[in-house]
Amino acid sequence: MAGLSIQGARKSFGTTEVLKGVSIDVADGEFTVIVGPSGCGKSTLLRAVAGLEELTGGSIVIGDRDVTSLPPSERGIAMVFQSYALYPHLTVRENMAFGLKIAKAAKSEIDDAVRRAAEILNIEALLDRKPAALSGGQRQRVAIGRAIVRQPQIFLFDEPLSNLDADLRVRMRYEFASLHRQLGTTTLYVTHDQVEAMTLADRIIVLRDGRIEQVGTPRELYERPANIFVAQFLGTPRMNILPATIGTDGRGALEDGRSIALPPLAAALGAGTPLSIGIRPEDIAIGNAPDALPFTIRFIERLGGLATLHLGGREGDEPIACQLRDDGNLDEGDTVLASLPPAHLHLFGADGQALRTVGE
Amino acid sequence: MSLRRWSVTLFAALVALVTIAPLLWMVSVSFMVRGEAAQFPPPLWPANPTLENYRLLFGTFGVGRFLLNSVLISTLATGLALLFTIPAGYAFAKLRFKGRDAIFRMLVAALVVPGQVGMLPLFLELKAMGLVNSYAGALVPWLAGIFGIFLVRQYCLSIPDEMLEAARIDGASEGQILRRIVLPILTPIIVTLAVYVFLSSWNDFMWPLIILADQDLVTLPVALAVNSRQNVQDYEIMMAGAVVTTLPVLILFLALQRYYLSGLLTGSVKG
Repeated sequence: MAGLSIQGARKSFGTTEVLKGVSIDVADGEFTVIVGPSGCGKSTLLRAVAGLEELTGGSIVIGDRDVTSLPPSERGIAMVFQSYALYPHLTVRENMAFGLKIAKAAKSEIDDAVRRAAEILNIEALLDRKPAALSGGQRQRVAIGRAIVRQPQIFLFDEPLSNLDADLRVRMRYEFASLHRQLGTTTLYVTHDQVEAMTLADRIIVLRDGRIEQVGTPRELYERPANIFVAQFLGTPRMNILPATIGTDGRGALEDGRSIALPPLAAALGAGTPLSIGIRPEDIAIGNAPDALPFTIRFIERLGGLATLHLGGREGDEPIACQLRDDGNLDEGDTVLASLPPAHLHLFGADGQALRTVGE
Repeated sequence: MSLRRWSVTLFAALVALVTIAPLLWMVSVSFMVRGEAAQFPPPLWPANPTLENYRLLFGTFGVGRFLLNSVLISTLATGLALLFTIPAGYAFAKLRFKGRDAIFRMLVAALVVPGQVGMLPLFLELKAMGLVNSYAGALVPWLAGIFGIFLVRQYCLSIPDEMLEAARIDGASEGQILRRIVLPILTPIIVTLAVYVFLSSWNDFMWPLIILADQDLVTLPVALAVNSRQNVQDYEIMMAGAVVTTLPVLILFLALQRYYLSGLLTGSVKG
């Protein structure tokens, strides 16, 4: 096992710069998830670590070896692809043994490694089948098995759950987490799914347009997003952003003419300063309170235990999402009192960067 | 079965019969005694089946030698064509190199030039190289057919890049990837290509006629043509010659047709 250090990684395809100087340090044994919208360069970064893409600039160090110009097989990595990329004409056993066979390992060593990996993944019964005879989840397990057999210093996962149905994805997520606990191998995991990122990661790296937006634990990123992009990328429903200005009374004046109390840090801002106020849907409190404002329920999404209310102040305004336990008493068209507690507000400047987040 | 299906089946059977009838009659006539087929109306079956025509063919006319030439040239042509065509098609589909697409476009454009147009320049070239009247000269046009390269390339395009990348990560060299991953996946198209090249080179008449002057080197179709001019009245011997020419490729095709058809269909069925 080893840590991973990427410094100033740049990659261009023709005139398009996909990675614009990305630097990442992954500690030994850490599960790091790179997350971002499609086209942000996350897969390119992973493929560069694997050696499948050559960097235009920057360096990659695994353990204490600079692997920037080494071929994929000499980097001490194993990769699991979105499409599983199993060899269709080989059995599960042969698929898992392929790398060791190429390396001309002894037969007994290969058999041992395959058996151990199969035990870990619970696929001993599938060893003599061909990939075509396996379900999606089983194929994914074989792909992971093939990676385990290589005994890599670093696991690379490229959106490994994207091809699975929702139910299986949840189960495999759990298996990834327990597998990582069991093996303790340094892992770099790419996904566009923020739920995967939040549930699996020790640390999340949010990437946008080839640049890192923020790095931190899932909790840090959720509670103290560095900017509006990160704030809205993590969490479903996403964080509400309300454009406002600081009023002469120090309160936040919303676009619909109403105002709300702001956390103390807003006191440093002069009247008339434009800002964006962010609040997570679950932080909005419904019910009578001193600072509560009336809103009309435009739409309700009922999820069984929870409901998401889409509240509108004025006609035409972006509705505010509010999540609460569904007691079935509310209906579309009702007017409710909702308060936005200052302690839960996130303030962002005109440039979209967090002014300073709650609790500081 | 509905009436509609019956009529379709009947129609298909009729077409099949019309197609296969000359072949069957060819075999039948080859067992007739000399002059029997020339009667009117011509008999469908030999009255006294005989192997005399084959004896004459292999004995007096020495067809065994021509058969051997044909087998040799077609087998070598097939082997060589696969040897060059598969790596070329794979490279055009999956390896990144400068000018790849431009070269490929040029090759495909060359497909519209009829083979006959190239025969004279090719002949002069081979003459300069001293390959006229040799097996080598007969084999050159088969080495790397553009159609074959195109076929392999199109099939290779359906192999996901990720699979090859997985093999690269597993430590396989480009040669190992081709041998151990790509070739097994290509089996249907390789069989298709092999059958295609074997049939084409076996049935080829024009090029062996031009390039092979020595009687000991000529292939079956050429020998048969010469023979038919000499024995224009002897239907029975000519038909025996035709059987010797047709039967080997027919058997080969029937034996491999399962792969052959799956190879031809892959492009349309595979996503």
